[in-house]
Amino acid sequence: MANDGDVEPYSAQKASKRPIWTGTITIGLVNIPVRVLPMIFDKEVTFRFLHKEDGQPLRYQRICTKDEKVVPWEDIVKGYEVSKGEFVVLGKEELAAARPESDRRIRIDKFVDYLSIEPIYFERSYLLTPDKSGDAYRLLYLALEKMGKAAAGRVTLRTKEYPVLIHVYKGALVMTTLRYADEVRDPSAFKELEGLREPSKGELDIAVRIVKDLTGDFDIREYRDGYRERVGALIAKKMKGERIREEKPVREEAKELMAALQETLEQLRKK
Amino acid sequence: MPQAGTRVEFTNLEKVLFEELGITKAKVLEYYVRKAPQILPILKERPLSLKRYPDGVGKAGFYEKNAPLGTPPWVKTFRVHSDSVERDVNYIVCNGLDTLLWLANLATIEMHMPLSTADQYGKPDLMLFDIDPEPPAGIAEAVGTALLLKDKLGDEGLRGYPKTSGKKGVHVVVPIVRGPTFKEVREFVRDVGKGLAREAGFVRSEFSQTKEPGTVFVDYLQNAKGKTMVAPYSLRGTLSATVSMPLEWEDLRKGISPGDFTLLSVLKGAGRDPWADLLEDRQRLETGRHGE
Repeated sequence: MANDGDVEPYSAQKASKRPIWTGTITIGLVNIPVRVLPMIFDKEVTFRFLHKEDGQPLRYQRICTKDEKVVPWEDIVKGYEVSKGEFVVLGKEELAAARPESDRRIRIDKFVDYLSIEPIYFERSYLLTPDKSGDAYRLLYLALEKMGKAAAGRVTLRTKEYPVLIHVYKGALVMTTLRYADEVRDPSAFKELEGLREPSKGELDIAVRIVKDLTGDFDIREYRDGYRERVGALIAKKMKGERIREEKPVREEAKELMAALQETLEQLRKK
Repeated sequence: MPQAGTRVEFTNLEKVLFEELGITKAKVLEYYVRKAPQILPILKERPLSLKRYPDGVGKAGFYEKNAPLGTPPWVKTFRVHSDSVERDVNYIVCNGLDTLLWLANLATIEMHMPLSTADQYGKPDLMLFDIDPEPPAGIAEAVGTALLLKDKLGDEGLRGYPKTSGKKGVHVVVPIVRGPTFKEVREFVRDVGKGLAREAGFVRSEFSQTKEPGTVFVDYLQNAKGKTMVAPYSLRGTLSATVSMPLEWEDLRKGISPGDFTLLSVLKGAGRDPWADLLEDRQRLETGRHGE
């Protein structure tokens, strides 16, 4: 990514070339074996917490809120909070039994117009690559591209079943997991949106003209994470040895100390 | 974030370390900053034993020989096997102002140094006469013994450098040309002590004779590998914030009292250093000819 040649001190790992999952796209009686690879990676700058005194990383401990003691992993169970402070305990085996079994299939139910799908439901995209199935893969790709369609279906990844879309993107089939309907809030629940005054035709004409004037082609590359770039540049600078000092206001009790420090430094330098 | 001029970030500056005098950590740091030009040369390359008082000198302090977890990478350490505790000790070596400030910021009050340096740990470059009075004998008797010792050393062509221990005793240090073993140095000190004991009835030269009220022990036992003496200008963990103060022999002749040298008085005093030439004044020790 364009970052003025600076190092990229972000913790985000490069997108792995290793599949996280292998299975088949199943359309009726047709099977297309594919590998599923991650293609989204979050480029956030992540920091570790350090102890200010000695610069050493902190570690977390799970502490019981009652006896304040550290609880070892083997003594930890999962609880669902039924109401504030009231839990139902679910054992490991009970949870495992409820988990969906993955049959390693991406089951396609139907084909839909790709552009008709509300992007709000899009969750996370994965790259599909052919698994000794190049011909079938390419055939599905071209058919979807020609018709502007996407394949809608479902898949079980790890322990969760997702609605998914398979669509085309830059020569590849991409699988995007979708959110369930009840995971997205319905705006009609908001009273603030009810009974808004309808604008006059003149007002609407002006608004439409403004939109037209500002209409252009969308290019995601026009948008950059300024904060991330500034922090990245700051870290790169520090790595080159340029130290950025926070100038703290000197408190009264430290004034003599600071004066002494400067005089001693001067004295030691002369030696 | 560190302060300008040092890699050390000062923390809890307002923490009171000497309760009775209201001396804060800021003051302790200021003391070690002011004294750094005098302390640093003699501490150089010496693996230190430290006494820290994070809760102030009114509370129990603790000795620290091992570099603690979180020792910054720029602090030099020296690993040596300790026979007494049967494991490796990773000593801190204070070779610069930043390390000194880092130590002081950890509420290090006392710094104890060996009589040898890390590169030749088994070969002493300092000889120590640790003059320790047993009550009711006190600093006056210790000073008297030190003055007798000065003449005795003079007979041998040696020049000693005195300092207060910061408690009741007096230390006399002779910088020597490296060569003699600790054992040879120790025997030398013991023999000189025996000579003093013959001349002055209250002086004791044997460990077994100590604890006799009113006597002064010329302790030779610290002249051993890994043993330490409190560093010159080190603060002591006493309620009155005393200092192990290097002195001129003239000061001893005029007489001193234990309360003369404290953090506050030394900080106010002139910056002259009676030990300034000590490291350049290495003397050749003729060992092996001092019998009874």
